[in-house]
Amino acid sequence: MANTATVDELGHAPEVRGKNYLNQTAGVWSWLTTVDHKRIGIMYLVSVLVGFGLGGIFALLVRLELLTAKKTIMDATQYNQAFTLHGAAMVFLFIIPSIPASLGNFFLPLMIGAKDVAFPKLNLLSLYLFWIGAIFMLAAIVTGGVDTGWTFYVPYASGVSTTSVISATFGVFVMGFSSILTGLNFIVTLHKLRAPGMSWYRMPLFLWSLYATSIIQVLATPVLGITLLLLIFERAFHIGIFDPTLGGDPVLFQHFFWFYSHPAVYIMILPGMGVATEILSTHSKRRVFGYKAIAFSSVAIALVSFLVWGHHMFVSGQSELSSAIFSFLTFFVAIPSGVKMFNWLGTLWGGSIRFTVPMLYGIAFLFLFAIGGLTGLFLGTLSVDLHLHDTYFVVAHFHYVMMGSTAIAFFGGLHHWWPKMTGKMYDEKLARVGFALTFIGFNWTFFTQFILGTRGMPRRYYNYLDQFQPLHAFSTYGSWVLGTGFLITFICLARSLKTGAPAPANPWDSTTLEWQTASPPITENFEKAPIVTLDAYERPAEETA
Amino acid sequence: MSTSHAEHDHGHGHGSANGDHVPHVLPFKVYIGTFATLLFLTVVTVAASYVDIGHTGNLIVALLIATIKASVVALIFMHLKWDHKFHGIIFVSALIFLAVFIGITMSDTEFRGEAESIEAHNPVDLKDPFKAQRTGDVAIPKEAAAPAAAGSAAPAAGSAAPAVTPAKH
Amino acid sequence: MSAKAEALGGAGESKLSPQFHVAHHFDKADTQFDAGRMGVWLFLVTEILLFGGLFCAFAIFRSKYFPSFVEAHHHLDRVMGGINTIVLITSSFTMALAVRSAQKNETKKTTLLLAITLACAAGFLVVKYFEYSHKIHDGLLPGGNFTAADFASGHPGIFFAIYFMMTGIHGVHVVIGMGLILWILLRNQKNEFSSRYYAPVENVGLYWHLVDLVWIFLFPLLYLVG
Repeated sequence: MANTATVDELGHAPEVRGKNYLNQTAGVWSWLTTVDHKRIGIMYLVSVLVGFGLGGIFALLVRLELLTAKKTIMDATQYNQAFTLHGAAMVFLFIIPSIPASLGNFFLPLMIGAKDVAFPKLNLLSLYLFWIGAIFMLAAIVTGGVDTGWTFYVPYASGVSTTSVISATFGVFVMGFSSILTGLNFIVTLHKLRAPGMSWYRMPLFLWSLYATSIIQVLATPVLGITLLLLIFERAFHIGIFDPTLGGDPVLFQHFFWFYSHPAVYIMILPGMGVATEILSTHSKRRVFGYKAIAFSSVAIALVSFLVWGHHMFVSGQSELSSAIFSFLTFFVAIPSGVKMFNWLGTLWGGSIRFTVPMLYGIAFLFLFAIGGLTGLFLGTLSVDLHLHDTYFVVAHFHYVMMGSTAIAFFGGLHHWWPKMTGKMYDEKLARVGFALTFIGFNWTFFTQFILGTRGMPRRYYNYLDQFQPLHAFSTYGSWVLGTGFLITFICLARSLKTGAPAPANPWDSTTLEWQTASPPITENFEKAPIVTLDAYERPAEETA
Repeated sequence: MSTSHAEHDHGHGHGSANGDHVPHVLPFKVYIGTFATLLFLTVVTVAASYVDIGHTGNLIVALLIATIKASVVALIFMHLKWDHKFHGIIFVSALIFLAVFIGITMSDTEFRGEAESIEAHNPVDLKDPFKAQRTGDVAIPKEAAAPAAAGSAAPAAGSAAPAVTPAKH
Repeated sequence: MSAKAEALGGAGESKLSPQFHVAHHFDKADTQFDAGRMGVWLFLVTEILLFGGLFCAFAIFRSKYFPSFVEAHHHLDRVMGGINTIVLITSSFTMALAVRSAQKNETKKTTLLLAITLACAAGFLVVKYFEYSHKIHDGLLPGGNFTAADFASGHPGIFFAIYFMMTGIHGVHVVIGMGLILWILLRNQKNEFSSRYYAPVENVGLYWHLVDLVWIFLFPLLYLVG
């Protein structure tokens, strides 16, 4: 098809081709000891979907509790644990590893024409570390829960809380190493294993976004490690660094925490932006408009992300000087984000847009990210944030970015690459129903929360004023629609594994390299090592003529 | 394994015709010289700490010597001088981001609570916060405001510079 | 400098390490070698930022509780600290030489140098043990555990919190480093390394030098200027 001369003979149906990465070897043990990036990606995919399910259940419980202004189904302590576990599960078990570790692991080597990532064993180790961390976190849930909020703020987390904070934070600490190893692996792979002819500017833009993500993972995650280590020691041995009664500084914890966790929100969103770029280009059959602008804006977002963490601390008692600096710097994030937005729209303009399921997710991404991104500017404005801080406006903002953008892009990517990963097509109609309910339910739930926030509803409250009850109830009804949407999506994808039609090698007529091999790919990825002669989104001359 | 001198003058194992790795070996005296330099600088930094040039002066001297020692280790023992330029970029970028981390965090801790002292002398009338003329709407000298600052925010209490001048060690 | 470099490619021909092969996803040995080293450099970045958090805490609390820090640092033994500095620098030196002899196919010399490095690391930990037990005996402990009397200034516990966290995490790195050095020492005895393949020796060396680098900053900050 497009990129190489060697792949034209590929793309037969899998049953003709025989072996692929799924049936090369069989048995649980062969999966647990595999070093194949595709199998590791699939295991990550299953793991993060379990994490998503867990976080989702807690989300529904939290929304259900908020249906009425007083007690609905749980007491206040359980409510604190429910929203903490919702946040911790969604952030650490789902969003951070979601796209890079599952789709990234699977497609990064395929997209650059490599046989595997640079360090396959390290890749497997990172999966095991992720599982070990997850076990510690699950242990925390079983042995008393966590009620500190996913940010583990001191001095509450270091002294007052009686829940299993140490187990949960140690779990996050271990998962941090998993994240670092994935990022390190990706950087080296992109530098060293690109196929002949695959120059940096011929890489699909998904890979640029993964590269930027990996930079953040390597540079920021170690600071989370030391933060959580200090927190654990603070809690276990009262070392005093964060404890104001011993002369420590609790705000310092917030600096440490957000130096990681603010860049971490770009670990969450950048891969989503990359997936959206692939989807929008492929399903409008259009070369990406402003390739280099999108590529460099990813790296720019990664770098600027390190300079803005203090906008989480405008009301934490940090110095006014810091607040002013951070507010000013925060606006710089909007520039590369805006560059991306306009280039995506430019890509769609004049394209032959096909409303396939992935494309629906892609367009929803544009819509939701615009709302999520622009409301971020309100919150970055110092004076406005003083009013909106810790209200539902913030909750709505980050759900629009994290859920509306990253999770939507993740599910878009899942539908986009599902045929390649599994070799099966899914039921388009059912997938559309799942998408529609998700999209409607999402806006129903969270747009309501923008209104709640501007009216002064604080986040994390168990009992609230009666005047907020109608809007809270409205938001809760939306969460049921949202949950139903995801359930239908899961059923649709799971059903396709049994009953789906065999997928052709390139169902979307895409130009990138991963579609130029069989669906599902063989263990070695390509029959012959590909030689790249065209740009990522360039079609051969005879096809465009 | 047929590699000549000329083929690998960029450092580690470039230019081997069959892609095999060829090491880049430094002469022994480079290592001895580096080791001697490091020992010498260790003695210098200990000696310098006994010379009183003010706390800031001693800190700067100690950090300067440590930086020179670290650079020598990185450049020679860690082969950064002959390594790919990108590895040097990786290393230096870590230091830059560390500087950003420490620098911006200190922009908070060093200046915390400065507005409170002014606010304390200019109480805002909550019923009419935008009243044109607030009582004494002028900058208050820091010393006068210090007692107010101490009580206003617990974690910020210590950020006013310690008044005690410590005895020189 | 590089012009003086000795080319040893030809000499190593007879001593190819039989266990070594280029992994299937690399095009050639050189790429594999470079990839490994780039990975280690990236790992060292994470180490720098991990310790960086503690350096940040040190800077902030030193500025905040300056008298305490000055007073508390006099309770650290700068002779022991100085000895440990020299011990670590020596171990870095022998480690660098071990990489060099591995490059030159001098297997026995490599073993000897690695053994000296290992001995230095152990010596470092022994000195550290004496320092720690002395501090614990005097009650010079972190934060809430601080029990030493006769301190004039307010928050010496914070200094010792940072001291124990920094040197403790550094000590853990020394222990891990000893494990890694032992691992390559044993592999070296099995003749697995040659001028053609010595990447593990060099990469463990890089890690060990970083452990030294961190100490180069810890020593003056904690022991000398406080």
